[in-house]
Amino acid sequence: MASPAFDSDVLIVGSGAAGAAAAWSLSRGGLRVTCLEQGRWIDPSEYAHARPDYELARQTTFAKNPNTRRWPEDYPVHTGGSVIEPLMVNAVGGSTVHWSGHFPRMRPSDFRVRSLDGAADDWPLTYWDLEPFYDLNDANVGVSGLAGDPGNPPRSPRQTPPLAFDAACEAYARGLEKLGWHWWPSDNALISAPFGQGRQPCNACGPCDIGCPIGAMSSAHVTYWPRALAQGVTLVTHARVEQITVDRAGRATGALYYDADGARRHHSAAVVVLAANGVGTPRLLLNSVSAQFPHGLANNAGVVGTNLMFHPVAFVSGVFPQVVNAQRGPIGGLMNCQEFYETDTSRGFVRGFELQLSRNVGPLSTATGALQGELAPWGGGHHAFVQSRYAHTVTITTMLEDLPEAENRVTLDPDLTDDHGIPAPRTAYRLGQNSERMLGFAIERARELLDAAGASEILVDPLVSEAGWHLMGTCRMGADPARSVVDQWGRAHECPNLFVIDGSTFTTSAAVNPTSTIQAIALRCADWLGRNFAEAAA
Amino acid sequence: MTAQVLTAAELALLTAVQDELVPAARSMPAAGALGAARAVDGYLAARPELRRAVLGALRAVDAAAGARPFAALGRNQRLAALRRVEADAPYDFHELVRQTYNAYYTHPQVQAKLGIDRPPQPRGYELPPFDPQRTARVRGMGKLWRDA
Repeated sequence: MASPAFDSDVLIVGSGAAGAAAAWSLSRGGLRVTCLEQGRWIDPSEYAHARPDYELARQTTFAKNPNTRRWPEDYPVHTGGSVIEPLMVNAVGGSTVHWSGHFPRMRPSDFRVRSLDGAADDWPLTYWDLEPFYDLNDANVGVSGLAGDPGNPPRSPRQTPPLAFDAACEAYARGLEKLGWHWWPSDNALISAPFGQGRQPCNACGPCDIGCPIGAMSSAHVTYWPRALAQGVTLVTHARVEQITVDRAGRATGALYYDADGARRHHSAAVVVLAANGVGTPRLLLNSVSAQFPHGLANNAGVVGTNLMFHPVAFVSGVFPQVVNAQRGPIGGLMNCQEFYETDTSRGFVRGFELQLSRNVGPLSTATGALQGELAPWGGGHHAFVQSRYAHTVTITTMLEDLPEAENRVTLDPDLTDDHGIPAPRTAYRLGQNSERMLGFAIERARELLDAAGASEILVDPLVSEAGWHLMGTCRMGADPARSVVDQWGRAHECPNLFVIDGSTFTTSAAVNPTSTIQAIALRCADWLGRNFAEAAA
Repeated sequence: MTAQVLTAAELALLTAVQDELVPAARSMPAAGALGAARAVDGYLAARPELRRAVLGALRAVDAAAGARPFAALGRNQRLAALRRVEADAPYDFHELVRQTYNAYYTHPQVQAKLGIDRPPQPRGYELPPFDPQRTARVRGMGKLWRDA
């Protein structure tokens, strides 16, 4: 099975949610796996949670926007043509290093958007194809939640119980019960009870979005990587990949990268797997120009980089007369309302959305606009403004399905480069008509919910610009090589030993956070590749 | 102790400006009096990319104050000067405001006034557990998803 002519059997680029899961899966069968990661291990001592100025980390060292954070291992993204900013982390564990950990699954209808609703495309796989890998992934990483949600297919018992239910949850549930709408405690990649080695259950400290210093969050660097390394995977940090190389036949041969000392190296492999996220993966392919692929690797059909999808988000926040202390407890989507998830064309759009309960932030983020989208007023009214909101606010996050549109895309910027001189990505993204109509409808439903819950004032950030957490669609999966980049196994139509397994493979976006689906896809692709390695590498 | 980036005059001006941005009110101290200017000076030292906007805003405030120093103006004149700068150079001014808020709300004295007695870790918080009985009505809604 092994390929002694190469440095590795499989070379993975990117150590985040997808790359980590694939590294674990592929190395179980004895394949020699190497992963190149441009970032580094984040030391728990770097987290700010034990400092009074911990909220500053959101603007500085643990900012989610790489253009703000500016770690040496980050690359810049030109976002001038985008109403939503792409967010990411370049580190071992990728963007799961600091995230909300919200871990819902897609629904069966999400994979049949064209057939059911006449929009976008169907995926080349079904929910039922993916279901065993959702289960496998949950068992590997540890999930809190509650089985039995009538909004989704039945699923196995969750590894740990639902997260805590505090005054913010009470307010949310009160409104939904009054309206008679669906709601459920969401699955979260955040353990509420002992699970796994070296991890502590969540102690409700609050700011998950600047990392988790106790290992409660089921981030890839605490779940898959220790096991993958124990199975013999080689993880090379500070390794910035410049391009994927090909031979005369157009088959991938490995990657050119810069190591920690800035030396340019080549790592050869029988199979190359890309897991560098929905911006990084198309960037890498577009930078991999050759005689065989003059417009970028696997891009002779011109699809790479197109169909960029985010999840357009509005924050609708209810200010309550009573203290709810929603800054305590996990910040992410603790509970979901999927009342409006499936298509109802009488609403004026197709597909649907979730109303997620998000907890809130401390006084600094309240003052700097986390809720209302702009700075709190200065001067005489400042204290009243902040103190009426801080500890009194519950936020609803609208999570909309974003339909793919070819004009929304990732390209290479003609001028901007990273520190190694590698062309940087440029994003162009505008809201489609369907999303605009859906967003307006979703905001009104969130208002209705908060009114029912007893909010005395409602604040709306109608389109959160720093909401590009979910980077999808830019190397879409499909059966038609003219309209997609990879097949259902992540295998590039134009390059048979090149695989893409991250969020860029999403054919459509669904209306849920994507990470559990990203990891299920990565596990399914890796499982297929492991069983068919000889054919893939031939 | 000397400032790292700001001159003594800039530090004094920033202090006066901050006392208007976040004034004292009931038990809350004013930002300038709390020493927020020193903290902002530290931010400018650590993040040079902030300097252009913050220093630009300070220069604009100084210019808007006219012949007299900003600190020597009456209250209404100070506010008028700040509003002019906010209107004319909103990006720079709002960066100055943001950095002032950063300094103010990370100060333990302010946090204590707001009821925050410690950072989130290592103790975290005790919150009540979820009671699955709460889902009784929703369970009764029946299947809500489309098979496909």
